[in-house]
Amino acid sequence: MKKIVGVAALSFALILGACSSGNAGEKDDSAYPKKNLEFIAPATPGGGWDATARAIQKIMKEEEIIDQSMTVINKPGGNGEVGWQYLSKKDAHTLAIDSSLLITNNLLGQSDLTYEEFTPLATLTTEWISVAVKNGSPYETATDLMEQLKKDPASVKIGIAPGLGNNDHLSFVKAAKTFGVDITKLNFLVYESGGDVMTSLLGGHVDAATMAVSESAEQHLAGKFKIVAISADERLEELPDVPTWTEEGVDIVFPHWRGILGPPDMTEDEITYWNEAFSEMVETDSWKQLLENNGWEDFYQDSAETTQFLKEQNEMYTELIDESGLQK
Amino acid sequence: MGIDVQTILDGFFTTIQPMNLFWIALGGFLGTVVGMLPGLGPATAIALLIPITFGMEPTSALILMAAIYYGAMYGGSRSSILLNTPGDGSAIAATFDGYPMAQKGQAGQALAISAIASLIGGLIAVVGFIVLAKPLASFALRFGPAEYFLLMIFTLSAIVALAKGQMVKGFISMCIGLMISTVGIDLQTGVYRFTMGNVHLSEGIDFLVVIIGIYAVGEVLYNFLSINKPVGEKKSVGKIWITKEQWKRSKWPIIRNGPVGFLIGVLPGAGGAIASMLSYSLEKQISKQPEEFGEGAIEGLAAPESSNNAAAVGAFIPMLAMGIPGSGTTAVILGAIVMLGLKPGPLLFENNPDMVWTFVNSMFIGNLFLVILNIALVGILVKILDTPPRVLYPVIMMLAFIGTYTLGYSTVDFLILIVFGFVGLFMKMLNFPVAPLILAVIVGSDMEQNFRMSLISYPNAIGILTASPITIALVIMTIVSLGFPFLSSWLMKRKAGKNNSEAM
Repeated sequence: MKKIVGVAALSFALILGACSSGNAGEKDDSAYPKKNLEFIAPATPGGGWDATARAIQKIMKEEEIIDQSMTVINKPGGNGEVGWQYLSKKDAHTLAIDSSLLITNNLLGQSDLTYEEFTPLATLTTEWISVAVKNGSPYETATDLMEQLKKDPASVKIGIAPGLGNNDHLSFVKAAKTFGVDITKLNFLVYESGGDVMTSLLGGHVDAATMAVSESAEQHLAGKFKIVAISADERLEELPDVPTWTEEGVDIVFPHWRGILGPPDMTEDEITYWNEAFSEMVETDSWKQLLENNGWEDFYQDSAETTQFLKEQNEMYTELIDESGLQK
Repeated sequence: MGIDVQTILDGFFTTIQPMNLFWIALGGFLGTVVGMLPGLGPATAIALLIPITFGMEPTSALILMAAIYYGAMYGGSRSSILLNTPGDGSAIAATFDGYPMAQKGQAGQALAISAIASLIGGLIAVVGFIVLAKPLASFALRFGPAEYFLLMIFTLSAIVALAKGQMVKGFISMCIGLMISTVGIDLQTGVYRFTMGNVHLSEGIDFLVVIIGIYAVGEVLYNFLSINKPVGEKKSVGKIWITKEQWKRSKWPIIRNGPVGFLIGVLPGAGGAIASMLSYSLEKQISKQPEEFGEGAIEGLAAPESSNNAAAVGAFIPMLAMGIPGSGTTAVILGAIVMLGLKPGPLLFENNPDMVWTFVNSMFIGNLFLVILNIALVGILVKILDTPPRVLYPVIMMLAFIGTYTLGYSTVDFLILIVFGFVGLFMKMLNFPVAPLILAVIVGSDMEQNFRMSLISYPNAIGILTASPITIALVIMTIVSLGFPFLSSWLMKRKAGKNNSEAM
């Protein structure tokens, strides 16, 4: 009987060892990745994060950038929180999509996770954020709009989605703050999705709205409403007539970035592996096509640059959320 | 958009290319299947298919995804009729009279009329799409927070008013639903309400979990109570084709409610659940035999079926003409076609007319295909009624749990599912109407947020009620729909000289 227990215990230990080979004592790092990779989309199938993850999976496979197969796993909930919680307990064979929500969830008191617990692997894309006014609006330019807000911060109804503290909201808050507006009195109408914000601006139910350029560009080009400023560092090719905030005298650049996050404690070799993989991926035609179709800009930064970038972002968001009175 | 016959014909010929016909058939079939399974709705099915559409011709991808969407409208009512377990919000109204019909031994006819009604509703909406896409898109824009708030109030009041003779129970049911809808993050303030520290609850309780719990699990539990009773006569499934008399009764309700569903579908955010419930209550209120509603009146099944399919077609108008998704499913489709390089929005009709018209033609052909498929399936589907409970109920339970998991990928939903299973059981035992609760869960959170936004936009309540001609019309319709049951029973009392208002 004892023998059987011993054998069972031994085989159990062996199985355990095999399962956690990533952090077991095997030193053969050249073989990384050793097993199937998990790629977490911290959202339901069908959304932007899920689509990005699946596109990356496809490109990595078709261009033969990585040998191991990669499986996309959906872990929706809590603005990414569920997916990142999962990632924090995994080994180097699991990656996840991330965005500034990783930072703001914590600052808004909605998560205990901080960006520092993870291994930032890359920043991949950014979208720029636009501010638009309805047709027939008394505000011709972003400066007009800001002047009005300076006089009476509550006098303009501003549509945003899908929640206070997100990028669309905070980019506007930052612009207003830089202009000298009392940002605690701004009047935001919070809609459930970007589509709802667009509808309400088209119908004139809000005076101004802030949304991703990819959402607003078509309407602007068709003359259905007017984009008065974008958060980019220079004018965009597809919207040559739209000034940046800097041109309007508001010195801000505000990216809405997406990147790749690894679990805690990845080794130098593992990080190098992904630096190579992602820098190769962003040069492929299929990646460039994906960016163009979605209206995203290339924003590639490697692991070290991303670590520094996240630090700066964290400082910027901390200050902004403090001053807007959103902090819990 | 001008109607250019040549472009429409070109679109037709693109549609009947064998590959596109294949996508229509595949999508329609998949849609019918996922529609039938509780919880596995078109949004999930399409989302899971997105990786397959990578590299597909954008038009073909759109055809495939749209076919799944309206295919699910056909499929959704199958399980409503046969098992009293709707597959989706828009199939709830089909349980009201569809299930009683099946119990009366008219399952075949119920399935047939629902397919026919879906076809006609869909075709009416396709014609509406061709003629009215642009003007309707701008009409929908006039719906602001005040208009949406009152539209939802109107829908809820119409549902409560349906529970004639037990309106109080209807109100209680609705209030419970509204309370459930407050769980989750409050958009206007970012405050978490009733989430008990659980991350998964921060986005609220998914109404589909409530539907699956109350209907599917509740129905199984309810039948479990009587499982030891001797099984009665084998239920007859009746003929699979409708009689002339049944057609006469359904004809006008089907034709009337196509446009109703279409118009509601065009409004972003309203969708099939609201459309089919409003159609049902409209038919009941204008019917000469309202007392037959809920007992297996064929027009009570035909009207919402016509309406929800028309709404599915209508939902594509804001998506294609403005780039605004009108429902959860169209949001997923929109994301997918953007990935493929299409830019839905005001310029789509000008830049890609061939694509738009191919799509419209595909809906036409798709609906024809689906009615044939669904009528062919009637003979097989009615066999479900012969399945012994010891096989059927475990299968339903299994599907309920699988469907629930696919909604949020979380086991927290299992607990919620079981709780609502018991809620459904008790409501059934105590004879509470379920529809007001479900509808309140579906619209509650939107209704509240729209109300709060209207309070920012208008100085006071009177301002909200009189914000526009649309709000005034909605207020009047709400009052009429709440007052109508009283008015009609009062009239009837006077006429007959005796009280014959019956409980529904």
